[in-house]
Amino acid sequence: MKRMKKIEVVIDTIHLEHLISLLENRGFTGYTVIKDVYGKGERGLMIGDEVTGVFQNSYLFTICEEQQLNDVIEDLRKMLKKYGGVCIVSDVDWLIH
Amino acid sequence: MSLDLLIQNVLNPVILFFFLGVLSIFLRTGLEIPQPIPKFISLYLLMSIGLHGGYELSKSGLDFYVFKVLGLALLMAIVVPIYSFFILRLKVDIYNAVAIAATYGSISAVTFITAVNFLQSIGDSYSGFMVAAMTLMESPAIIIGLILLNIFAKKSDNGNLDVKELLRESFFNPSVYILTGSLLIGFITGEKGWKVVDPLFGQLFKPMLAFFLLDMGIVAARRLSELKKVGMFLVAFAIIIPIINATIAILIASSVGMTKGDAFVFAVLCASASYIAVPAAMRLSVPEANPSIYVTMALALTFPFNISVGIPLYYWLANKILGG
Repeated sequence: MKRMKKIEVVIDTIHLEHLISLLENRGFTGYTVIKDVYGKGERGLMIGDEVTGVFQNSYLFTICEEQQLNDVIEDLRKMLKKYGGVCIVSDVDWLIH
Repeated sequence: MSLDLLIQNVLNPVILFFFLGVLSIFLRTGLEIPQPIPKFISLYLLMSIGLHGGYELSKSGLDFYVFKVLGLALLMAIVVPIYSFFILRLKVDIYNAVAIAATYGSISAVTFITAVNFLQSIGDSYSGFMVAAMTLMESPAIIIGLILLNIFAKKSDNGNLDVKELLRESFFNPSVYILTGSLLIGFITGEKGWKVVDPLFGQLFKPMLAFFLLDMGIVAARRLSELKKVGMFLVAFAIIIPIINATIAILIASSVGMTKGDAFVFAVLCASASYIAVPAAMRLSVPEANPSIYVTMALALTFPFNISVGIPLYYWLANKILGG
């Protein structure tokens, strides 16, 4: 087991690519995405129920070392301020295999 | 406005299916249409209206009258978002003002389709090239909105605007692309082509529209809970600005000698608000604007108002001003 940081982001599907390129530019080599998650936040009901996909959210999670988290956290904050969304950081144990 | 006209419009299976959708949310029936189906039907409707418009255009041909109407359509698509923006700035922050102005400067294809359906049901006609006017009115509002944003927002707030991406999104978004493409196909293939596609794109059109409006009713009613965010000023705006836009459109139409049917359709286009092309573009280019405000206004207020009261009202206005 290895102590790591887990970053979870829920973001508008339309901006998902932007988030992924931000992480990749910061040296993140892996992530997992679940498309079309739904819920409600400050931008209203995000349920993906209309034809444009405007109200469609996606969920992304990745894990990293604490240093890598410190490098990316401000970029994430700026991005969420502009585009909306939620980011949660937690301590996790990574199973080395 | 005559009550007969209003009843005739509302007591139409297509419109009643919209309200059936609305009611299903209030009654919590759990009625839901699987997501890919409305997307498919919206494509179908755009293809159908484009093909039919192209076919009608091939019959009528291109003359000065056509170009005059198309020019006016383009003019309104530029002017409406500009004055809407300044009205909105009285109460709304710059980002939401831009997004709402662009929403109301663009058009709703389904409102247009419903208006055409109404016109046919009362035995009146319009020129097929009005579909070209509709296509032409989809995108300019997006560009105007962003020009306004660049003029009035702090430069530092929107420094990374990708103009190339924005133009691509404005002029090649799926709805504009499929409409324009279908219009060209309909125009090129003419009557022969229309006969081939008529069983699917002509005869099935109204049942498919009913299906789509059922879903629209469900979606619009779900968005009603967001009205608290919208506020009274914007609720009033969502109802009053379509009437103002339609009145201006009919006055312009009468001054340039448009036919009554064309003037009515032109008014409906100017009165409608986009909830497909513009929101998709705004999410990319003005992410600071809140979609639960501008989409809710267009979808849960203006659209139901237009298809129930607006359409007969604009027809009555066209009758009054252009003579019936």
